[in-house]
Amino acid sequence: MTAESATLRMMRSPLPGLVALALLWGLAAPAMKVNPRYLPPLGLVLADARSVWPDLLAGLWRTGEETLLGFLFAGVIGVGCGVGFAYARFLERGVFPLFVVLQNVPVIAFGAIVVIWFGNGLAAKAVIAFYLALFPIAVNTLRGLQEADPERAALLRSFGASPAQIFFKLKLPSALPSLMVGLKVGVSLALAGAIVGEWFGDTVGLGVMLLQALYVEEIARVWALILVCGGLGAALYGALALAERRLVWWRRA
Amino acid sequence: MTSSADAVQRAPPRAAPAYPGAHLQLVNVWKRFDGAPALRNVDLSIAPGEFVTLIGPSGCGKSTLFNIIAGLAAPDEDGSILLSGRVQQNYGLLGKVAFMPQRDLLFPWRSVIDNATLPLEVEGAPRKLARQKAQALFPEFGLEGFERHYPHQLSGGMRQRVALMRTFLFERDLLLLDEPFGALDALTRSMMQRWLLDVWARHRRTVLFITHDIDEAIFLGDRVVVMTARPGTIKREERIDLPRPRAASLATSPEFVEIKRRLLAVIEEESLKAFAGTAAP
Amino acid sequence: MTFSSTRRWVLAAAALAIGGIATAAAEAADAVSIRLKWVPQAQFAGVYVAKAKGFYSAAGLDAKINPGGPNINVETLVAAGADTFGVASGTEGTLYAREKGLPLVCIGMSQQMTPFAFVTYDNSGVKSVKDFKGKKVAVWFTGPQYTLYSMLAHEGVSQKDVEIIAEPFSMQPFIDKQYDVATVTLYNELNTLKEQGINNIRLFLPDDSGVTTQQDSLVTSEKMIHEKPQEVQAFLDATLKGWKYAFQHKAEAVDIVMAAGSGLNRKHQELMLDEIEKLMTAKLGGSQGLGAIDMKSIADVQATLLKFKALKTPVDLNAAFDASFWKKVPDADKKL
Ligand SMILES: Nc1ncnc2c1ncn2[C@@H]1O[C@H](COP(=O)(O)OP(=O)(O)OP(=O)(O)O)[C@@H](O)[C@H]1O
Ligand SMILES: [Mg+2]
Repeated sequence: MTAESATLRMMRSPLPGLVALALLWGLAAPAMKVNPRYLPPLGLVLADARSVWPDLLAGLWRTGEETLLGFLFAGVIGVGCGVGFAYARFLERGVFPLFVVLQNVPVIAFGAIVVIWFGNGLAAKAVIAFYLALFPIAVNTLRGLQEADPERAALLRSFGASPAQIFFKLKLPSALPSLMVGLKVGVSLALAGAIVGEWFGDTVGLGVMLLQALYVEEIARVWALILVCGGLGAALYGALALAERRLVWWRRA
Repeated sequence: MTSSADAVQRAPPRAAPAYPGAHLQLVNVWKRFDGAPALRNVDLSIAPGEFVTLIGPSGCGKSTLFNIIAGLAAPDEDGSILLSGRVQQNYGLLGKVAFMPQRDLLFPWRSVIDNATLPLEVEGAPRKLARQKAQALFPEFGLEGFERHYPHQLSGGMRQRVALMRTFLFERDLLLLDEPFGALDALTRSMMQRWLLDVWARHRRTVLFITHDIDEAIFLGDRVVVMTARPGTIKREERIDLPRPRAASLATSPEFVEIKRRLLAVIEEESLKAFAGTAAP
Repeated sequence: MTFSSTRRWVLAAAALAIGGIATAAAEAADAVSIRLKWVPQAQFAGVYVAKAKGFYSAAGLDAKINPGGPNINVETLVAAGADTFGVASGTEGTLYAREKGLPLVCIGMSQQMTPFAFVTYDNSGVKSVKDFKGKKVAVWFTGPQYTLYSMLAHEGVSQKDVEIIAEPFSMQPFIDKQYDVATVTLYNELNTLKEQGINNIRLFLPDDSGVTTQQDSLVTSEKMIHEKPQEVQAFLDATLKGWKYAFQHKAEAVDIVMAAGSGLNRKHQELMLDEIEKLMTAKLGGSQGLGAIDMKSIADVQATLLKFKALKTPVDLNAAFDASFWKKVPDADKKL
C-alpha cells in the first residue's frame, strides 16, 4: 500500500467527517453562544452520558439485541419472500399487494395487538423491528433477482443447468448488490422499530431512556442518547457495508 | 416487409429427407414472433467435423436460429431438427450443443478459470478435476498466467477467448459460435481466426459460425451459407475448396477474390433489402 | 373472551421461534399483570413498592408490572384481558372506554385533584383565570382541554374570548415566551420549569375554580370482577398499602423506583414523589383514604364532556366506577 492510497482511504472513511463535526460542536457552538437548551455543549452531553453509563450500556445491549433479532428474522424471511415472489407469479400477484398494504400500516396502529400477542418483552420489540425491516429486504431481493441477466441464464440452460443451479450460480450473486441495499435499509429500520417498540412499554433500552429524557426534558440526556443510537445504527450499517464490500466487490471494479 | 408474398406463404410440411451421416440437420424450420416470421423454411445440413460459416444481414434471424439449435427456443411446429439422425423435441437440445452467444457473458464475480469451468461445474464435475482440465487449455488459448484474474481485468480479445474456452470445455461435438470476433479490431481478429482454425484442426469438432464479415466467412469455412433478409432463409450455399491449413496471405489469392466477388453480389442484394425493410415505417 | 389463552399460545410459539429467548407467561394460578400508563417513574411508586416489599405476594398475587408508553392505551389492554389491572389515564379515559363499550371498571382513583395546572409569568398581567381573556393559552389536546373549557365556564369566561392553541410536549416554547399561559402537570412539567430556574411564575389550579378530574385510575375488567373478586380486592389492598408505605418511607420508595427504571435522575424522582403525594392525599384522599373515588366530581366531568360533545351519550357511572372494593380496603392500608 502506498502512502497516497492510505490518504485516499482516510478521506473515504467517515472518521474525518466525525472529527470535524465534533470540533464544530465542541468549539464553534459555545463560541457562537448557541442556547444550550437547543444544543447543549458536547462536554456536557458526554459528562451526562458518563454519569449513567451502566444504564446506557444496558440499554445499548438490550436495544441492540432487539434490533439484531428482528433484523435476522427479517433477513431470513425477507429473502425467502423475495425468492418466493420471484419464482411464483401467483405469490407476487396474491401476496405482494398484501405486503404493500401492511407496509403502509403505521406501527402505532397495531402496537396494542403486538403487545397482546407477544407480551412486553424482547419478543414484542423484535417483532416490530422485524416488521419494519421485512419489506425493504423482500422487495430488494425480488428486484435483485429480477435483475439477473436473462442471456446468462440462457447460457446456463444451454449447459443443461437446473433451475436450482441457475439460482445459486447466477441469480443469487446477481441479486447480491440489491439485496445488500435492502439489508442496509432494513437494519436501520429495525433499529427504529426496536426503539419505537420500546415506546410500547419497557424498563430497559435506549428507547425507554429516550422517552424518559424527553418526558422530563433532560436535553443533555436526549443528545447523549441520540449519539448512542446513532453509534449503534452506524455500527450495524457499517458492518453490513463491510460485508457488502467483501461480497460484491466485483460491482465496484 | 411482412406483406411480401413469400413471407405469408407457408411451405407444406414434408418428411425429412434422409441425409445419412449428417451431424446436424434442419428441415423446414420456421420461427414466428407474434405471427410475423423471423425464419422461414430453413433447410440446412452439416456433416460431422465440418466448419460452416453463416452470413446474412443484421436482423435476418441468425441468432434466433442459434437459439433454436441450442434448445433455448422452440421452433414452430412446421419443421424438425435432427442431431446425429435423431429427431429432437422442443428444448430437448439443452445440454447437447456447445453454444457461444454473441456477447461474452462472463460472470464478473468469477475468476477467469472459474468462468471457464462453469459448464463442467453444471455437469457436476468435481471442482479440482474441472480446474485441471481447464488449466491444460490455458496455454493454447493464450491465457496462461491469467487464471486468477477477473473479467474486468482482461482485454476484449482475451474475454472472447475465455468465452471460447468455456464453450470448448463444454465438450460437445457441435459448436455454435455467434460472431465470436465481431467486437475485435481487424488485427486481433485475423490472429484469432488463424488461432481458431488451429484449435479446430486439433480438436475436430463440428462448427457452425456466424459472422458479418465475408472475408472471415470464406477464410474459416468449408462452406459459406448466405441467408436472406428477414424473414431469413438459406439463399445460397458455397463450398470453399481452398486448401488447409490456410495462411493470412490466402485472402489476396485470385481464387479467394473470385469467391468473394460472387458472394458479395448475393449478400449486397439482401443487405439492401434488409436496409429498406428497416427504413420503411 | 379467549384473549388470554390466545396470548399464551402465541407467546409460547414466539418463544419457540425465537429460540427460547422470549419467556412464556408463568402458569401460576394467581399470576396477574399490572399495566402502567408510562415507563417506570415515581408516579407509580406505590405499585413498585407493593411489588418490592412483597405486598402483592403476601396477598396471594404473583404480580408482573408492565410499563407503558405513548403508544400504549391501558384501557384497551386491560379491557381486552391482555393485562389484569392497570394504572390508566383517569376519569375521562374511563368514560370514553365505557362509551366505546369496553368492559372496563374503575376500582380506585390515585390522584384526588386535577394534576393539570396553568402557568403564567408573574409579569404577564394574568392575575386570575378571568384574565385569560384575550391571551394566548396553550393546552394539550389529549384531554386537558376539557378541564380548561370547564374551568373557563366556571369562571364565567367565554371560550371565544381566549386564544386557545395546541401545546407541544415540551416547555421550551413557554420558556421562550411564545404564549402567555401554558398547561403543566404538577408532578412533571412544573418541576422541569423549576429546574430551569424559572420561579417567577403564577399557577392556576382547576380545583380552585371548582373543577376536579381525578386521574391515574386503577382499573380492571368486568370479567375479573365477576370471576375473581378476591384477586381484585387483593390488588387494591396491596397497591394502596404500597402507596402508604411509599409516602412513609420516601427515600426507600425512590430507591425502588430507581432500581426498576433505567437512567432515572434521583432528584427528579424525589420531586415527583413529593408532588404525587400532594395529589393523592388531597381532598378525599386525606379525609377518607388513598384511592377514594369522588363520584360527584366524576358526574361533573361527564356533564362537561357531554356539553362539549366529547362524549355522545352518558354512561352508567355506577357500572363504570365500582367503589365497593375500595370501601372494603382496611383503613390501616389506605389511611395515612
Ligand atoms: N424474442 C423475440 N421476440 C420478438 N422478436 C424477436 C425476438 N428475438 C428476435 N426477434 C426479432 O427477430 C429478428 C431476428 O433477430 P436475430 O437476433 O435472430 O437477428 P440476427 O440475424 O442475429 O441479427 P444480428 O446480425 O444483428 O445479430 C429481428 O427482427 C428481431 O427483432
Ligand atoms: Mg445476432
